[in-house]
Amino acid sequence: MAVELTAPQREQTRALYPDESGYIERDSVRIYYEVYGSGEPTVLLLPTWSLMHSRHWRMQIPYLARHFRVVTFDGRGNGPSDRPTEAAAYGEREFAADAVAVLDATETERAVIVGFSLGGQRGLLLAAEHPERIQGAAFIGPNFPGGGSPLPERTVYDFDTEYDTAEGWAKHNRHHWVHYYRDWVEFFISRMFTEPHSTKPVEDAVGWALETNAEVMIATMEAPDLTPEEAQALCRRVHCPVLVIHGDQDALNSITRGAALAEQTGGDLVVLEGSGNAPHIRDPVKVNLLIREFLESLR
Amino acid sequence: MITAAPPREQTRARYPDAEGFVERDGVHVFWELYGEGEPTILFLPPWSIIHSRCWKMQIPYLARHFRVITFDPRGNGRSDRPEEPEAYAEAEYAGDALDVLDATETERAVIVGFSMGAQRGLLLAANHPERVEAAVFIGPGLPLGTATPRARAVISFDEEFETYEGWRKYNRRHWLEDYADFLEFFFSQVYTEPHSTKQIEDAVGWALESTPEMLIATQRAPGIKDEAQARELAVRTRCPVLVIHGEDDAIRSHTTGAALAELTGGTLVTLEGSGHAPHGRDPVKVNLLIREFVESLR
Repeated sequence: MAVELTAPQREQTRALYPDESGYIERDSVRIYYEVYGSGEPTVLLLPTWSLMHSRHWRMQIPYLARHFRVVTFDGRGNGPSDRPTEAAAYGEREFAADAVAVLDATETERAVIVGFSLGGQRGLLLAAEHPERIQGAAFIGPNFPGGGSPLPERTVYDFDTEYDTAEGWAKHNRHHWVHYYRDWVEFFISRMFTEPHSTKPVEDAVGWALETNAEVMIATMEAPDLTPEEAQALCRRVHCPVLVIHGDQDALNSITRGAALAEQTGGDLVVLEGSGNAPHIRDPVKVNLLIREFLESLR
Repeated sequence: MITAAPPREQTRARYPDAEGFVERDGVHVFWELYGEGEPTILFLPPWSIIHSRCWKMQIPYLARHFRVITFDPRGNGRSDRPEEPEAYAEAEYAGDALDVLDATETERAVIVGFSMGAQRGLLLAANHPERVEAAVFIGPGLPLGTATPRARAVISFDEEFETYEGWRKYNRRHWLEDYADFLEFFFSQVYTEPHSTKQIEDAVGWALESTPEMLIATQRAPGIKDEAQARELAVRTRCPVLVIHGEDDAIRSHTTGAALAELTGGTLVTLEGSGHAPHGRDPVKVNLLIREFVESLR
């Protein structure tokens, strides 16, 4: 499927612009953040996998900022943040430390965090290891290694082996990315939005993915994920309220992952019928209302 | 290839508070009523290729502020499908509108007509000023302004061709052979904006609720016959008029809307980047324009 980018290359106009923006720096990696609104509490929208940057929260920011204070930052590797090329720079703990540094820079004592997909791992680290900073945690389509099972189609090929085929999930492979990064991006994003009539979210997400490159994305793959045991141990240390939102048609992270995360953290699981991996993009009103309700329940 | 939505009706954001049928010359026409504000807005049916669900993005919003009436055109939706072309004359649709106003005890209404709906709307506004408080025309289809490829295609409607590509699909023989193919093409021209797959799927689905035979009958029915008649009706229209026309309309030229606004002394709002049906593709923009216009009448 060829995705034609109809949007201009410059950033699209926004419904709401940040009230404040800036950079933090850790080990000479600069991370770009934005602050919107002034309500209470603060909600920190965490970066997801560096394939996308903070604009993927664009359907949440204008709504939530009318009621709460909203902080976003671009994950290292995309957006206006730096793009280190060594794998160590993309460890989950680096992203978590960036989040804490952003909270400090914005003088945010405590926040409710929202993590999407891989953002669930850094979110889990924050909730378990920085309980004094985290008031509550919401996870959308989380990539949670501590329970549930992977989707069968994602276990056929591994990332490092060179294959004769580049069909389907065989594209999820370093050798393919080096030569055909965009081909993989288009495939991967098509699996992110499995709902009909998703041409706009697909176009947006492909555009964001093309703001970074294969080298950066390969580095993120070489960085260590949380192991199942680590993830389970972290869950036992989470004591804040937890909300997990997972589409029952998620074609990237099995819904059994989200269910396991909710169970192990004692959180609530909301299953969205017919939704794929990114319901906050594809069905923003539904997800915004869930997040708002969750935030208000913490007051 | 467009896959039509399942044949059962989709769920609605809002269901009607009342519904019923009017009957004239044995043809039943189905109407719906929503809300109870003032004034009443009567959404006219467009070409019978689709039906009143084309207003689905307007009804729930406007019914929060006004009383809203819709009806299905003869030939589609829950209205009857007469066979003879005369039953689809513009004067018949206008007559249906008056009957629906009577049946719903509506003395006066603001009318909204889209595309072909502008023809019946103009007949109502010019000939029944006591019933029409004001008129909104969206992408009006009238013999005014410059012709589009559609207008040229109509001329060869009955001709036989080897192949039917592009606007050649606007052809009686092709409709009978491959109606869905025509519909997919036609609605791709109605919704020229990027990311319109949902609007196209809905419209194709509504069209498949009727038949090519019905649509051929509408093509042979007498409408507003020429520019002279259109001008005469327009200059006789005295009520406030708002014309909304997409500048990239590929079905009805933007110059048609501009001419209608000028002749009626109305206001023209040009929507940049919009196609033929901005009320379906950019409903918030159009809803706010309609609301502002209706409130200006108070």
